[in-house]
Amino acid sequence: MTAASVSSVSTNSGEPRWFLPLVVWRVFTAVLLAAALVATVIQRGIVVDGPVRLTLILALIGGLIGAGIAIRGTLQRVHLGRLSGFAIDFLLVVILGFIALNRMGMFTGLDAVGEAFNGNAALLLIIVVGWFVSGFAERAGGNQRNIKLIARWTMIAGAAILAVAMGIFPGLIEFASRLVRGEVVLFAIGAAVSAVFARLLWTDDAARFFGTNQAQSEAMDGMLFVAPNVLGFLAFFAGPLIVSAFISFTEWDGLTDATFVGFQNYIDLFSDSLFLKSLRNILVFGVVAIPLAVVPALLLAALLNSKLPGMKFFRAVYFLPSIAGVVGVTLIWKQLFNSTVGYLNYMILRVTEWFGAIFGATWEAPQPQWISDDSIALIAVIILFIWQQIGFNTVLFLAGMQGIDGTLYEAADIDGAGPWAKLRNITVPMLRPTTVFVVATTTILGLQLFNEPFILQSPSPPSGPNNSTLTPVIYLYQNAFSEFQIGYASAVAWALFVLIFGITLLYFRRSGEDGVLSS
Amino acid sequence: MKKKLILLFAVLALIAAACGGDDDSSDDGATTTAAPATTTEAPASGGDDVALRWMTRPDNPEEAAVYGEISDQLAASLGYDLTYEPGSNEGAGYQQTLLTNLSAGTAPDVFWIPGTEIADFAKRDVILDLRQFADATGHNDADFYEGPMAQLTTEIATGQPGNALWGLPRDVSTFGLYVNLDLIAEAGVANPLELEAAGEWDIAAFNEVVDGVAALGGEIKGYGQSAWWGPYGAWMNNAGGGFFTDDRTACALDSDASIAGLTALRDLYSGDAVIPYGEDPETPFRAGTVGMFQNGRWATPGIRTVDFNWDVVGLPSGSAGPGNWLFWGAYVVNANTADPEAAWNLVAALTAADIQAQISGLGANIPSRVSQDALDAFLTFTPPANNQAFLDGLANDPTTEGPLWAGSWPEFVTLMDSEIQAVVTGSRDIADFQANICSETSAAFGG
Repeated sequence: MTAASVSSVSTNSGEPRWFLPLVVWRVFTAVLLAAALVATVIQRGIVVDGPVRLTLILALIGGLIGAGIAIRGTLQRVHLGRLSGFAIDFLLVVILGFIALNRMGMFTGLDAVGEAFNGNAALLLIIVVGWFVSGFAERAGGNQRNIKLIARWTMIAGAAILAVAMGIFPGLIEFASRLVRGEVVLFAIGAAVSAVFARLLWTDDAARFFGTNQAQSEAMDGMLFVAPNVLGFLAFFAGPLIVSAFISFTEWDGLTDATFVGFQNYIDLFSDSLFLKSLRNILVFGVVAIPLAVVPALLLAALLNSKLPGMKFFRAVYFLPSIAGVVGVTLIWKQLFNSTVGYLNYMILRVTEWFGAIFGATWEAPQPQWISDDSIALIAVIILFIWQQIGFNTVLFLAGMQGIDGTLYEAADIDGAGPWAKLRNITVPMLRPTTVFVVATTTILGLQLFNEPFILQSPSPPSGPNNSTLTPVIYLYQNAFSEFQIGYASAVAWALFVLIFGITLLYFRRSGEDGVLSS
Repeated sequence: MKKKLILLFAVLALIAAACGGDDDSSDDGATTTAAPATTTEAPASGGDDVALRWMTRPDNPEEAAVYGEISDQLAASLGYDLTYEPGSNEGAGYQQTLLTNLSAGTAPDVFWIPGTEIADFAKRDVILDLRQFADATGHNDADFYEGPMAQLTTEIATGQPGNALWGLPRDVSTFGLYVNLDLIAEAGVANPLELEAAGEWDIAAFNEVVDGVAALGGEIKGYGQSAWWGPYGAWMNNAGGGFFTDDRTACALDSDASIAGLTALRDLYSGDAVIPYGEDPETPFRAGTVGMFQNGRWATPGIRTVDFNWDVVGLPSGSAGPGNWLFWGAYVVNANTADPEAAWNLVAALTAADIQAQISGLGANIPSRVSQDALDAFLTFTPPANNQAFLDGLANDPTTEGPLWAGSWPEFVTLMDSEIQAVVTGSRDIADFQANICSETSAAFGG
């Protein structure tokens, strides 16, 4: 797909009239990027500082290289010139437009959109009425056209009234006044000019001029389609990731200038008893919790995969914990775990009494201090995690089981295999790709443990008694948001990333060697 | 084409409505200051075009709603365009939101921070010294409780109270003991309120009540407290000790008085008459199975939902008298605010007596202003009948919660919390604690 052709008026030399302005624009953007780069490098502390500044410098260097490629490609009239030029213009539209809107205070004003809409939501009824009338017209007889016309104008009138009620006229005047204020107008003009040249390069005319073939055109279409996603990925995932990697090499409190300290934060981690304790806790947690969140889920899935009545109901029931909010669920479990009034200890008490009555003995029921005893506080977290995860894992296994060829079970039946033999020799081997996925995702979730111990322990410190529920993410959080050690916290984050990535990679490689992933 | 027109229409409507909202880019608002001292008054002139955002953490949704109403009320009286932000949401806590906004340069003009963080923010030049604006408006430090003001006027260079002014306290709070009167009566032990009235409410009497209530058996316990620094610190304060030396430049956890307080706490927890240390005590108290529960004024709205007879009594007197904490937090001004003068006006207005009376009318806060009107408003919030217990806590020379100007409070707390817990739960010998704790926490003082 390309945009509609735009008529081109060529000069005598065979160049379209927009070619010279395009070259000038290309050079201008390159000069602008270079100036911005120089300003960012030398004007330290004026606009942005710290790791953000370095990221900006890297982005500007990237942009400058891109601009150079675009100039060269444009002058050579090759597709690369069109592609890189279009990419730069597209990014300029997005970035300059964003800055302009931000400077105009539009994003903080979005709160007002909700308020204005809520205050006038009743006016939507006019549009709804028009919509109903329009639907009614389908069933009407001869006057169908007139009714549709009335319906359309009712909807238009409703929308207009709603817009006026929301303040469209004063709003547009305000918008215009902000648009011409200070530097905003420069950003807005920059975005508009970039949009014009991006649109120009998108035409069939430009495609012909730059010798773009069909495959290249389709590739550009594809890139444009994925652009919003890629930009979102860069802005909200890759960008912060790179920034956090840089921060981990600094001593930074998030508020003042960062000081580059090289690998010092990482070196300190090895002698930090609290970090090592958090690592030990999470590894113990992983070794116990992950198998217990996976193996029972497999057995449960086998049970739920049977044709017994009511299985659909139980599938939904087991899935519920994974869709319930973790905060609410943890608060409920916190009450259950309470050592004096919690139902868990009450149940232990009753069961002990019941058995005592059966055997004619008086036994003292154990009343574990689930949250406050450092020897079992982590077990409480493990129980909660398993309870949350098991349902989701069950559903994944169930989906995997339903993909297994039924004829395998029929053949096993003919061979006289029992349920256990079929589970062990057919279901489990055939589910190995699913198992790899379940184990990997549970491991990643488990190693990032945060909410459960944090809420279970509140209002006491989240690290728990004798730091028994201190996890790397809690330690990271404490460093970043209590102790203002963002640099060190970033190093903890990256150490955790390496751990998770290492374990997952190892697991996938082992699975790959076994041919599981290819199957 | 129609769809495009509808889309364009929607975008325009969106833009229009958004423009009708806040304009944070306003930077040309000229203001002069008035003196909102005990009541909120409009600035003498020129509130036009001033847009300010302010943020404070509410204790509950009702309080958030009142802050929103106060924002509207002050917007009208000051003539500013004010936006209130609660700061926390489902995805992030108040502190997380604040620090992220400060890092990104998008923090509100005025925001609340706990008293323990004043030094961290001041030393990093994140908040403004408001003295010049305060002097211009006739502000008087003595209108507020002395303890918080000592911290809020501390000079960075000396670490001692001086002529700085980092903000004004939003509210204050003290600890009290929430008492289940039904359990007390059922146990047949002396009523702590009567003991207090008779001047006999000391640690020994407290222990008798705890043991007496716990003797009811089953899940009934005599007492409960949380495991953070406030509750155990109160025991040290009671014994005349504390976390720091008087000038707050060194650790005093190893002082004899601090150790005496900690020993009393450890002894209390060595038996099974109390909710195990580290367990949440509020849930069983609200379930009616705990005789006494130590907490601040902020717990009152939640306790009001219980269906047994209850009241509040002051903390029992230790060897150094009825020690307590004075908890507080302050409104401060963002160093990057476009309009510091207007921001100061907002801080002053937010801490005016009539505004504090509105907040304290919800029951969770005690006014920070030494004003009889504000205190009267606080006392009208019943139950508890004995609101005076919290005010007595203020009057009995409480230890003021505060930052470490010569060290790192968060680091100190992290180190202290786990070691205190180890002592109270019996996994660390108290003599070993006394011998080593100050060297173990020396890192927090840069040691």
